[in-house]
Amino acid sequence: MTSNSSLPAIRPAQNIRTMFHILLATIFLAAFLSIAPAQAQVDLNKRELNVPATLVAESRQVQAGQSVTLAFVMNPKPTWHGYWENPGDAGIGMSFDWNLPDGVTAGKAQYPVPDTLLISGIMNYIYKGDYAVLVNLVVSERVKPGPLAISVKSEWLACTDEICVPEQDELSINLQVVGPDAAVSLDNAFNGYREALPRQLGSAATFMVKDDLFRLSVPFPADIDVETPYFFIKEDGVVDYAAPQKVNRDGDSLIIETGARGDGLQNISGVLKIGPGTGFSLKAASGDVEMSGAPLVSSGDSGNFLGGGDQSNASLLLIALGGAIVGGLLLNLMPCVFPILSLKAISLAKAGGDEGVVRRDALAYTAGVVVVATALGALLLALRASGAAVGWAFQLQDPRIIFVLLALVTAIGFNLAGLFELPNVNFGNKLAAKDGPAGSFWTGALAAFVATPCTGPFMAAALGATIVLPPIAALVIFAGLGIGLALPFLLIAFVPAIRNRLPKPGAWLDSFRKAMAIPMFLTSIGLIWLLGRQIGEDGLALSLIFLLFVALILWWFGGGQMKGLSRGMATTGALTAAIIGGIMFLPNEEAMDSQRLATASSATLPSEPFSEARLAELRANDQPIFAYFTADWCITCKANEAAAVQRQETADAFAAANVAVLMGDWTRPDPVISKFLEKHGRAGVPLYLYYAPGEEPVILPQILTVGTLTDLVT
Amino acid sequence: MFYKTALTSLAAVAAISVAMPLSAAQKNGAVAQDFKLTDMYGKTVQLSDFRGKTVVMEWHNPGCPFVVKHYDSGNMQATQAAARKQGAVWLTINSGAQGKQGYMKGPEARKLAKEQGMNSDHYLLDVKGVVGKAYAAKTTPHMYIIDGSGKLVYQGGIDDKPTANKADIKGARNHVTAALTELNAGKSVSVAQSRPYGCSVKYAS
Repeated sequence: MTSNSSLPAIRPAQNIRTMFHILLATIFLAAFLSIAPAQAQVDLNKRELNVPATLVAESRQVQAGQSVTLAFVMNPKPTWHGYWENPGDAGIGMSFDWNLPDGVTAGKAQYPVPDTLLISGIMNYIYKGDYAVLVNLVVSERVKPGPLAISVKSEWLACTDEICVPEQDELSINLQVVGPDAAVSLDNAFNGYREALPRQLGSAATFMVKDDLFRLSVPFPADIDVETPYFFIKEDGVVDYAAPQKVNRDGDSLIIETGARGDGLQNISGVLKIGPGTGFSLKAASGDVEMSGAPLVSSGDSGNFLGGGDQSNASLLLIALGGAIVGGLLLNLMPCVFPILSLKAISLAKAGGDEGVVRRDALAYTAGVVVVATALGALLLALRASGAAVGWAFQLQDPRIIFVLLALVTAIGFNLAGLFELPNVNFGNKLAAKDGPAGSFWTGALAAFVATPCTGPFMAAALGATIVLPPIAALVIFAGLGIGLALPFLLIAFVPAIRNRLPKPGAWLDSFRKAMAIPMFLTSIGLIWLLGRQIGEDGLALSLIFLLFVALILWWFGGGQMKGLSRGMATTGALTAAIIGGIMFLPNEEAMDSQRLATASSATLPSEPFSEARLAELRANDQPIFAYFTADWCITCKANEAAAVQRQETADAFAAANVAVLMGDWTRPDPVISKFLEKHGRAGVPLYLYYAPGEEPVILPQILTVGTLTDLVT
Repeated sequence: MFYKTALTSLAAVAAISVAMPLSAAQKNGAVAQDFKLTDMYGKTVQLSDFRGKTVVMEWHNPGCPFVVKHYDSGNMQATQAAARKQGAVWLTINSGAQGKQGYMKGPEARKLAKEQGMNSDHYLLDVKGVVGKAYAAKTTPHMYIIDGSGKLVYQGGIDDKPTANKADIKGARNHVTAALTELNAGKSVSVAQSRPYGCSVKYAS
């Protein structure tokens, strides 16, 4: 009992002692850990490194006079990270101390696009997962064939969110210098390493430091989507790294504003990141930059977001909603919607006396429009979330939907022309009272659906905002578009003064209705053209035959109506069969792809896709070749194409001289093209090459004129 | 006793209230933000008490390999001694939060200072990181020099070799020693700003 009762008195003392021991052990361990790296520097045991590095070569064999790419493959342990060349507020970039044989020189290290890591207001530019830093070695022509020992002492800083350890390693690799005819096998892993590097943005940016603000304006096409862009600056002392970056887009400019640290530089460089692992390296010169255009979102890590963003999102929503309503309103004047609108409006006016019926119909119509517009919007957002790059009228990218829409619009046209009448949905030919709210709802739904091929003013900007807004807000904008579209009806229904000003129905209405078939058929012609571009002439002819079936069935149906026969069931069946048949006989994906290629080659200056094999083949045939490398996001490229490449004079001159044209599209990272660009001393597009038969290629200037190109062959 | 405690807490509040509004970087040429901190003996130290003297501030974290570089080599202690010999006051400040690397209580700090032969006038504990953030101290070490009139005349690294390798100290330009020599000669500081290097300061949040 005594021992038991004395226990509580002793325990705390023991606990304190134990805790003290643990504390001592912890301090000792911490001290040991902080010293350990220094020892690691001596014994160079790789297993002790937290961010171990491996040196690999793209090819063990290298020809004299050529270059070979080496990669420092870094594999941070979980929770550890390494640093970009500019580490940010704290941390240190990598250093390289090369030990190279005579005649071998190492180029500048090329780093992949980094990530941001903000801890307690201290910004770090880092890599959390595995990454590779690339360095080109150039072997001069005077190096004799034989073994080539490469070694490098490299230092880097490895950190977790809590602690940092400087690490270093002496890495070496043995290469083999081979003769000019020897085979060189390449390591495919390097394709992945290159894809992670920022691509060089052809055009120069502008920056300004003023009143503690740093602004950067980057030429960047308006139609390229960006997610939370972030500018990583290479030079220290210019930008307050931890300050949030505000992003505006103004046409073909992307403008970034953040806190400044210092002034005095005339030129800066850095990497503009536009999505995970995707970025562009750029150079900027000092100049004036205005924060113009519309704001995108504030970027950086979540902790980096210092208020104001919600407010700007809210004002963006209001502006976009206004644009959507006005855009929807103007959409009523488009040829695809106007006939439906005008006739429906007059039919509403007809009901004149009965306010209740008119209002009920107008609300039902509005509901139909809003439901379809919002549903299309929701579908659009869902497709976008699944990674498809789609915009408004995305459904028109699918020829099946175009065909259905074409059949529908044509049928409406025939209906307006008086070929047949519809029992439920009508566009003003019957008394509104008979229409009923269901009919009005479907008329509205139809109006919204057929409105999609048309886009009016204000809509592009409003719908563009749906990309950056949260989904709910985006849906509000689509609903706003629907409300805009239905607005004339609501006004007619709820403002008697407007209704009274509408012309009274009479015999003229029948003629007006027939005349309204013309804009409907114009819409049909537009859709036929669109369908033809997608599926080609052969496919189009077949589709039009099915369209003729649809027309014939409707004619037969209309004939029955005149004789008082009900052919509804038979007509519905036949129509369904004709439309399904039309869809079934649409060309398949493969045929459409080749059609797309054919569309590409119907450009003013037709081209073939670039490949090294095709280039070699053409050169072997002694054919002159013009090779150009472009990307959708490259403004300089597009400008040159419009001004010089895709011009009739150029096409004629090239055709006369039998010049083969090869086009390399670098919109998506393509290792073959990346390597080819590198071989020609370019880190990015544009690149224009002319190969005269049997001669070395000429690199053409980055700014092209028609004269530059036509002079090549005359 | 109560009076003293109340005064101390009042001082702590004062330190927070003067430092908080300026959680942005201090600019060279501007009057340096005044502050009060408790040193490793529990004594309150106020920056403005040293008006008339040059003050060097050093951000410290004993667990950081970059700090270890300068203490194990004796470089930091020598720089401190030289500064004091020239009449400057040296404040070593630890902004590490409780539970983070390098956090110390008074007794631990006293032990470390003795073991390492630190020559600073005061070792200040900035557990809440208020002063560190007011000066935008980003790394350990991160150095600041304030002249006799209270103006900030230098901020940046201890030297121009951003490594954790002791061998790099020889041949590096010690920005602090250079600036103090220039100030003593009545000249302006030629390198008034440099890139600080080291581990990030382990703030609480």
